[in-house]
Parts: sequence; structure tokens; C-alpha cells
Amino acid sequence: MNPFGRYLLNKLFWYLLAFVAAMALNFFLPRLIPGNPVDAIVSQMAQGGGASGEAMQRVYDTYIVEFGLDKSPLEQFISYLGNLFRGDLGTSLGNYPTSVNSLIGAALPWTLALQLPTILLGWILGNILGALAAYKGGWVDRGAFLGSLAFSSIPYYGLAILLLYTFAVALPWFPTGGAYGFASSPSWTWGFIADAFRHYLLPFLSLLLVVIGGQAIGMRSMAIYELGADYVGYERSLGLREPRIVRGIFRNAMLPQITGLALSIGALAGGALITEIVFSYPGLGTVLFDAIRQNDYPVIQGVTMLITVAVLAANFLVDLTYGLIDPRIRTAHGAGA
Amino acid sequence: MAALLSVQNLRAAYRLANGVELHAVDDVSIDLREGEVLGVVGESGCGKSTLATILALNAAPPLYVKSGTMQVQGRHADLTESDPLPRSERGKLISTLPQSAMNAMNPTTRVRDLAYDVLRAHERTTRKAAWGRAGARLEQLGLPTRVLERYPHELSGGMRQRVITVISTLLDPTILIADEPTSALDVSSQRAVVEMLKDLLARKIISGVLFITHDLPLLRHIADRVAVMYAGKVAELGPTERVINTPEHPYARALVGSILVPEPHIRAARVLGIPGSPPDLAAMPKGCRFHPRCPLADTRSREEVPPLVEVGDSGSHFAACWRTLEARQLLAGNLVGGPDGRVG
Amino acid sequence: MIRSLFGNGRFRLSFSLIALIVVTALVGPRLDDRNPLFAVGGRYDEPSSQIWLGTDAIGNDVFLQLMHGLGTSLYIGLVAGVVATLIGVAIGTLSGYIGGLLDEILMGFTNILITVPTIVILVLLSVALQNRSTLLLGVIIGVTSWPWTARAVRAQTSSLKTREHVDVAKLSGAGTFGVIMREILPYMMSYVVMAFVLQLSSGVLNEAGLSLLGLGPSQSISLGKMLQSALQGEALRTGAYWAILPQTILLSVIAFSLLLLQSSLDEFFNPRLRRR
Repeated sequence: MNPFGRYLLNKLFWYLLAFVAAMALNFFLPRLIPGNPVDAIVSQMAQGGGASGEAMQRVYDTYIVEFGLDKSPLEQFISYLGNLFRGDLGTSLGNYPTSVNSLIGAALPWTLALQLPTILLGWILGNILGALAAYKGGWVDRGAFLGSLAFSSIPYYGLAILLLYTFAVALPWFPTGGAYGFASSPSWTWGFIADAFRHYLLPFLSLLLVVIGGQAIGMRSMAIYELGADYVGYERSLGLREPRIVRGIFRNAMLPQITGLALSIGALAGGALITEIVFSYPGLGTVLFDAIRQNDYPVIQGVTMLITVAVLAANFLVDLTYGLIDPRIRTAHGAGA
Repeated sequence: MAALLSVQNLRAAYRLANGVELHAVDDVSIDLREGEVLGVVGESGCGKSTLATILALNAAPPLYVKSGTMQVQGRHADLTESDPLPRSERGKLISTLPQSAMNAMNPTTRVRDLAYDVLRAHERTTRKAAWGRAGARLEQLGLPTRVLERYPHELSGGMRQRVITVISTLLDPTILIADEPTSALDVSSQRAVVEMLKDLLARKIISGVLFITHDLPLLRHIADRVAVMYAGKVAELGPTERVINTPEHPYARALVGSILVPEPHIRAARVLGIPGSPPDLAAMPKGCRFHPRCPLADTRSREEVPPLVEVGDSGSHFAACWRTLEARQLLAGNLVGGPDGRVG
Repeated sequence: MIRSLFGNGRFRLSFSLIALIVVTALVGPRLDDRNPLFAVGGRYDEPSSQIWLGTDAIGNDVFLQLMHGLGTSLYIGLVAGVVATLIGVAIGTLSGYIGGLLDEILMGFTNILITVPTIVILVLLSVALQNRSTLLLGVIIGVTSWPWTARAVRAQTSSLKTREHVDVAKLSGAGTFGVIMREILPYMMSYVVMAFVLQLSSGVLNEAGLSLLGLGPSQSISLGKMLQSALQGEALRTGAYWAILPQTILLSVIAFSLLLLQSSLDEFFNPRLRRR
């Protein structure tokens, strides 16, 4: 097989294994709760006194069947997998009888709108900043490095809270939360889009700055390393033009950064969830938060499952791109893959 | 014979973080003649690689050139400047052949793209034309043109070193500074690179080579003259056969004696016959730098730095040793009737 | 060595900040023995000379809570850091030193854990364990974050094990454990220390993240739980900055100074990262 195919197959194998492991965690961990989860939930609902006894019994029966608690753990796991592959994440307990699918479906676009642009833009800008810092040196480097260190070390929610307080409370320029004003409802009108954009800007910025900081630090040290490489001296002594040399340096420094992107997607996903909570942004983070408060296990499992699948898929895509770009993988002859 | 390259009074030091300066090259003057290979040999740490770095115009902090000028084909350059030669002359007037082609080639650049970048940096050319020229040069030197399509990691070590030799001489540079170009290679690849350099000289693609190595026996096959360096200074300089057969400096004698065993393929890299080790660059001995290890050292050796002076009759053999000088003066005095100032 | 380390401005700054934080966490709670979970005023009382940082949504003294919460957060971070570093070093050294099939299995496992988002495992574990003491929370965070350390330690180990002194020890009959403890670990202490600093920092931040999701320590007050109650109590939107900014800033300063410490140590131990 050609080296790239082997690389791909190897990656695919590990991702599949990671996927299975995540699914197993997803299935078994909530079952560690003493007693059966339905008892816990139903007794909590009863304490709340919201529903009548008859309704409670209906919920209880539904869940005994849905969780398949009368079956063996293995059978339960298999039926759980079957439901997953049909794309059925079950029914919410907290918002009975809304399906988990529709809860997540409503939240997903907001989360995607927040995360995709921040990852891509943050990665590009962070790399440019890091490269610039490494190449220019001096005060540009010191400023960019300390700034990046500050932004990348501040936790996501920390920056979110600081931005929210500064630009929405102390200086009331932006709304204090939500994805759109109370008065408007989602529609494709200019008024709504402008309103949504105003709500979008602060959470977007708070995520973007952290991503830029983290990527810039990585790029800076890679580029400093490459700047000292032998080939730079050789190319200079052959009289190559500086822009050509710099292009080569940054192309090489960029390659590990692609892997860096893959590795940071998971952390970013987690950070973005919490950022959503700070801004009351109606994405998956808020859904997860509500579900945890209500012990709404199907929703918790659905959200963690979706995050896992998305992060694994994104990682795989990044690895695929890396394999296509790096000639050392693409054209490796013999052993070195 | 007119000097192709003339280096005068080169001094250079590495500046450490704590402010201490290590003088790696101390007052070295060297001429390279038209059509010749000048070998520079010495143990590691003797300053030969620093010399190569400076002449390849690659000196960068923490290495600082304290003084020194260079003349190439009538052009005068001050080596203490950050850019002694304009970019357009680099690679054309002086080019460099590094030790490890693997490290010297950008791992994500194909050979043909490097060739294009090199040519394009100095003249107007198209990608096709540049590849054509590089291909023609490869064929001329007996290498397959398909290596142009390859990335460095796809070539064997020996092939990589030959390919980079072609890249280094693509612009027909006047002078080639070869810094241990064969040290990492097996014997047959070493021979291939050496033959290639001779071929390049014969075809007048290049006009002179400064060949830096720790491998004295190898120089026998390629160098016309040899400079032996010790602790940042030239200890002895002369025609290869003379330096090897009748070394004048005690260090050169020890080096030759310890390395040149009858079978040329047995090459010991270490100087076995000399007790002690090269001096610490931070604490250089006074006087002759070799005196702590020299069996012949006397008071003068310990106090005064010996100059590099002529020791032969041909006008081409020089050594920097008080005792050698004394011996020759005695000899000359006996023959002519009194010491005179012929040497100086 | 210590002197030249203190010659680095970044090290001096980060070290002083961390020393200040630790001393505050140790001394702070002893200055005032009132229970931080006991209300002293009304909802969001403004800062005053008695209550320096005002009160939170249910009338607790924010300053008092901060003093106690800081210690809890650092304790959880410390437990997480120690657990993660111990597991990471154990797996990394075994994997790198023994190699072969064991290496493949351990590193495969490590890589799987790296790819699955930490937050997912943290959430699932915390949900499953309904009663979370500070110790348990630290352990939970630790067992989810060791893979990075394991990977770095493994790389170090496989390069160290080819050294001469390791061979000498092996020839003189030292066992695997002995070689790892005496011939490998001491030579990478700097890496282990740096990894620990990073783990400590991510432990503190992860506690806060979990608390924000409502999965904080059950019975204690921590910086993360203070954040969560402030967010839930709409402290920002009601303008009660004193109830939310102190813990936010404190968490950020802890993270920043630990990262700064790590980066100055890194530069000190790996001169290659210094500019030429």
C-alpha cells in the first residue's frame, strides 16, 4: 500500500477505537449512579411536586422501557448503540416529552456559528502573529509573546466575564447575554441579523482572543526553532531572497501547528461550552448546563456524545489534511511514515 | 600566482551569555589561489569550522567577527560588517557546501524548487528554464535528472550530498567553501564527492575550493596546499606533500604521525600521539598555544606568540614555531656565516 | 543555578505572584474564623469597611469566601496535578523504557484519551459521582489529564534510555524499577517539574470549569463555585461586580503566573528555545 494510505488507515483505526471508548464511557458512567437513574430522577421530580402521580408513573414506565433496565447490561448497550446509529438520542427528562434530538437541534446552529469561525480565524491570525513575533524579534516579540501568554492563560470563562463586564455592564455598548433581543424572534431580516450580530460579537471575541493567544505561542516557538535551522543559513549563503527563505521557514513551522489545531479543538469545545453559559448563549453549553441541573441524563449523554463525535471528526479531518500537505508523509519511501 | 581569495587578519569570537568571549579564530590570514584546493585541517575546536562559517558569510550571533578583510577577484569586503557581500554576490562569488545535506536542505522543498529559488535569486528565469539548467548540470556531472523531483528525505545520504554539491555550484561560483562535506559519508560516497569537486574545478565551473576537514588523509587526494590549525591559529601552511612528508610544526608533526598510518583507509580521527587536549578557548595559554602539550617548548614559547614564517626554500612552506625557526636560523647561520634577517 | 534562574525577569515575576497567592491561601482563612457559608448581610451589599468586598446573592461575605475558596481551588489543583503527574510519569517511563508491545498498548490508550475531549470525560465522571469531596474532585480531574504528561515523559525516557550510564546500571544488575528511579527519572526532573506546573494550572482551571457547569465540590466553597453562584445570581447584570470580578481575576492571575513560570523554566532548561 502507498504510504499515505497506510497513514490514513492507521489514523482511522485509532479514531474508531477512541470513538468506541467514548461511547462505552458515555453508556456506562451514568449507570454508576447508585440505584437506577430513573428512580433518582422520578423521586427528584416528585419532590419538586410539579407533576401528578399518574404522570409520574407514566414517566417512570417510559424510562424503564427506554433505558431497557429490565434487560442485561450487554443488551442495553447494544440497543443503545442501535439507537445511536439511527440518530435517536432519546427523550429529555427535564423537558418531557421533548426529544433530545430537537433540543440539541435547536442549540447546535448557535454553537457552530460561535465555534467554527473562532477556530479557523483564530488559528490563522494566531499563526500570523506568532510568525511575526519570531521573525521580527525585539519589542514586537516581547509584546506579542506576553500578550499571547496572557490571553492564552486566562481561562475562557475568565476572559468572557471580563469582556462582558467591561463592554456590556460598565460600558453598556453590547447586550449582556443571549443570542438576540427579547423583542425579536429568529428570521432572515436585516433587523434580526444586526441584532444577532450585536449579541454575537462579545462571545465571539472572547473565544477568538484565547485561540489567537494559544496558537501564536505555539507558532512563535516553532518559528524560532526553524529560524535557527541549518537550511536557513545555507539558503542565505546561496543568496536566496529573504521572502523565499521566510516562506520556507513558515511553511515548516506551520506543519506542527496543524496538529496543534487538532489537539486544541477538544479544549476549545469545552471552553466554548462554558463561554456560552457566561453569555447565556442558547447553544449546547447552555443545554448541557440545564441538563446537569435537572439530572437530565439523556440530554447530558446526547450532548457529550455529539461533542465527542464532532471533536473526533474534526481531528480526523485535520490529520487527513496534514497527511496531504506534509511531503514526508505523502511521499515517504520505505520505513519513515 | 594571483590570489583568488585573500583573507587578512581574521579574528572572531563567540560571546557567551555571561559576557565571556571565546576567541575561536585569532589573526588568521589565508590566500586561495586560482584553480587550487586549499585544505584546512585540525582537531575539533581548532576554529576551522568557525573560519568556514565566516567565509561562507554566515556569521551570526553569538559569533562576532572582531576584525578581518577579504578580497575576492578584486572586490574588497569588510568581514566585520553584518553583510560583507551584497545578497546578489552570495552564492555567485562565494558559495558554500555544508556538512550535512539533510539539515541544509529544507525538508519540505523539492530539489527542483531549491534549484529554481537559487537561480531566480540571481537572474531572471522561468521555472522550466531553471529546471532545465539544473538537469543539464546534473547530467554533466553524472547524476540522474530524476532527483530533481525528489524531496531530501527521498535521497540516500551519498546522493543527497552530491545533489547539494550541484546546488551549491549551480551559479558557477568563483570560490567554494566546503565545510566537512564528506565527514558524514561512507568511503565510496566520500570519493564520489571528492571526484565531483575535482571535476567541477577541471571544467572551470568553480575556480578554487577551501576544503575544511579533520580528515588529513583525505586531503592527500584533493588538496594542493594544506593549512594546519590549532587553537584558532594557523600552525603550519604549505604544499600538501611537504606538510605531510616533512611537517615543521611540532603539532603538525604529531598530527601527521598519529593519523597517517600506511593503509589509507584506516583513518583515526583523534590525535593519539599528543598528550593533553586542545586548550580551553576561554583560558588560552600565553605564548605559543601549543606549548603546554609540546615536548620542545622553551621559555620563549611560553611567553611570546610565534609568527607564521617561511620555513622552506620554495617560498611556500610556513610554520609558527619558535623552535623550528631557531633550528632553521642555526642551519642558515652555519651555511652562510651568521644569522641574518632573511626571515621575518 | 538558582541565582541564574532568578536572573530571569519572567521567573522572578511569576515566582513572586505564586508565592503571594500561596501565602494568602494559607494565612487568609486563619485571620478570620467565621464560616464562609454563613450569611452576613443582604443580597449584593456593596463593599464597605466591614465587608471589604461586599456580599453575594445570598448575603455571604465575598472576601471571606475568597480567602477560603482560594485554598480549596489550590488544593484541588494540587491533588489533580500530583495525580496526573504520578500517572503520567509512571505510564510514560514504563512505556518508553520497556517499549515493544507494552509501549504500543499504553501509548494507544494514552492517545485515545487525548482525542476524546477532556470535558466530556470530566462531565460524565462527575455526573456519575454524585457526592464529590474536594479530594475526589481533584482525583477526577487528575485521572483525566495525565495523557499529556505521559506522552512527554515517554519521549524523554526513550531518548534517555540509550545513554551510557543506563547501560552501566543495567549491566551491574539493576532491575527495571531501579533503573527508572535512579538512572532515568533524575535526568528528567526538570521536565517533570514543568509538566507538574502545567497540570497544577489546568487542575485549578478545570475545577472552575466543572463548577461552572454545576459539577463543583459538594460541600465546600471554591473559586469556581463562587463564579457559578455569581453567574447564576446574575451578579454581572445587576452590576454587582464585587461578587464576580475578584474570583475571575484571581483565577486568571493564578493561570497566568503558572504559565509564565512554566515558560521561564522551559527557556531555562532548554537553551535552544532562546533566541540566537
